[in-house]
Parts: sequence; structure tokens; C-alpha cells
Amino acid sequence: MAVDTVELETTLRTSIPISHLEIIDQSNGCGENYAILVVSDAFEGKNTLARHRFVNELLKKQIAQMHAFSQKTFTPKQYETWLERQNAS
Amino acid sequence: MSALQNFHVVSSPVHFQELLSQDLSRISLINFWAPWAAPCAQMNEVVLELSRKYPELLVLQVEAEEQPDIAESFEVEAVPSFIILRGHTLLGRISGADASSLTSSIAAHLRPVSFVQAKSYSNAQPAPADTETPAQLEERLRGLMNRERVMLFMKGSPDAPRCGFSRKTVGILRDHGVQFGSFDILSDESVRQGLKVINNWPTFPQLIVNGEFVGGLDIIQEMIENGEFDEVVVGKAQ
Repeated sequence: MAVDTVELETTLRTSIPISHLEIIDQSNGCGENYAILVVSDAFEGKNTLARHRFVNELLKKQIAQMHAFSQKTFTPKQYETWLERQNAS
Repeated sequence: MSALQNFHVVSSPVHFQELLSQDLSRISLINFWAPWAAPCAQMNEVVLELSRKYPELLVLQVEAEEQPDIAESFEVEAVPSFIILRGHTLLGRISGADASSLTSSIAAHLRPVSFVQAKSYSNAQPAPADTETPAQLEERLRGLMNRERVMLFMKGSPDAPRCGFSRKTVGILRDHGVQFGSFDILSDESVRQGLKVINNWPTFPQLIVNGEFVGGLDIIQEMIENGEFDEVVVGKAQ
């Protein structure tokens, strides 16, 4: 069963302030393998483990329907640094 | 060298099913391996030898990380691992590079004779700690987690990892020059189950810094990207 990405996005956006969001379908169309990239102020002061646990809990229902799920979480500042580094290399 | 009729390198789940479904009364041996694991190279030889010796045996070579769906469906979580089937019925599984167990299991299933096969386990477990109370176990786990500043609970050892996730984690730590201690959770089932509970994390490897759970491979990779890795694991601030 394909995952409802609209619902996934809505769940995220209504729970935390999102400054940037990417939902990447890595499944070649079967809709069961997703990677997300989330940039939010809500991650400020939280370590990576806490962020992952938070997102996993929030998207529990959707993740249960997927075969594979991975996430990247950034604060807006970390995201900027990360982009700069990506562009530099 | 003539090609073996009964030896197949599996290229996809569909291919796997096709091979297996051709004759459901046939005994098959599935070898889950990885090219980076030295014990697999040695066991691949054993498997090849078995294919030669028993032409009636169907031998399926599955590169575990290339075929994650197949590996997962058999709950294979470390290499090498061997599954013995008749059709779709599971007859046995052998974990680790245990050539004698593998050879004797195959012999037992292909020549159903009257003697009872002595059971042998590949990973000699320390005496089951029936007497260990939950409180004692927790104390032991806390002790292990604090043995060094950075502790990695993994499958296998740093020089002979038995799972790709563990192997990658070791690689990252070494690349960053992090000194760490390690513990093979495949060698101790109470530690394995206990850590899942106290760290509230279902999988391994688990990285511990200053006695506290930091994350698994995904989190470690992300920490490298967001800068937390240098701060927490490498400990540059100190």
C-alpha cells in the first residue's frame, strides 16, 4: 500500500514550524520507501537522537506502512551550513 | 572447471522464488554472505564443496546486502548465515562460519538415516544467566556502557564485523580517529535484549558515549552532517 505523502506532510506541518521540507520517494514508484529532510526551529537545542525519536513518534502511522524510512533533521542554521558545505565540495 | 548445475547466484527476489519453486520437495541451502566479510570467503568454499558433493542439493548464493528483501524475509541479520529448506519449509539455520555444523546438517537432511544428529550451536553462548536478576543485568549493562568513554555495541568485532551497519559504524569511528571499546552482542543474548530495553532502541549497532546512548548508524551519519559528531563523539570541545 502506498503511503499518503500529503497526510505525512500535513502531520509534520501542523506539529512543528517547518522552514523547509523535502519528501523523497526512493522506491521507484511502489511508494514504500521514503527519505525526508526536515528543517525546523523546533530542533534547536535537541540532539539528533531526540529529533529522530520525535519524528518517528509523530509519523508512526505512516512509517508503519513503509518498507524503509530515513530522515535528516536540521535547524535552519545547521541547514545553511550544510548547504554551504555541499556547494563548496 | 565445469559449471555446477545445482549452484545458483541469486539476482533478485523473483529469481529466488523461481529457483525455489521448481521442485518443492528438494532440499535447498541458502548462503547469505557479504564480500567484505572474511569468514564468508572461507564458507563460500565450503558451500561450493557441498554443491559438488550433493548434486541433488539446490544451492542458492545470496549476497545479503544486494538482496535485502530476501535477507529480511529470513530474518538474516549477520553474515555468514545459512538457511536449509525443503521447498518453503525451514529445516534449519546456522549462524556464523561453522563449517562442521553446516556440513553435518546438510548430510543429515540429504541422507535421512536413523541416527539422531547431535545438536551443535555455532556461537558458544556463555552459560545462560538464569540466575541474573533484572537489577543485576542492568548493573552489568551500565558497567559495560561505561567501560570506555566511547563504547560500540555491535554484531561481531571491529576487525570481523558480521553486519554491514556495524561495519560502517566501525569505519566511521576509525576514519575520525575515535578511540572506542566494543562489545559483540551476538555473543551474549541477555546483553542484546537488555540494551534494547534500557536504550529504548530496537537495533544494533548502538553507540554509547559517556554511558549514554547516542544512536545507531543513521543518527551517527546525520550527526556528522550537522556537526554534532565532532562535538559529542570526537570530543573536540574537551
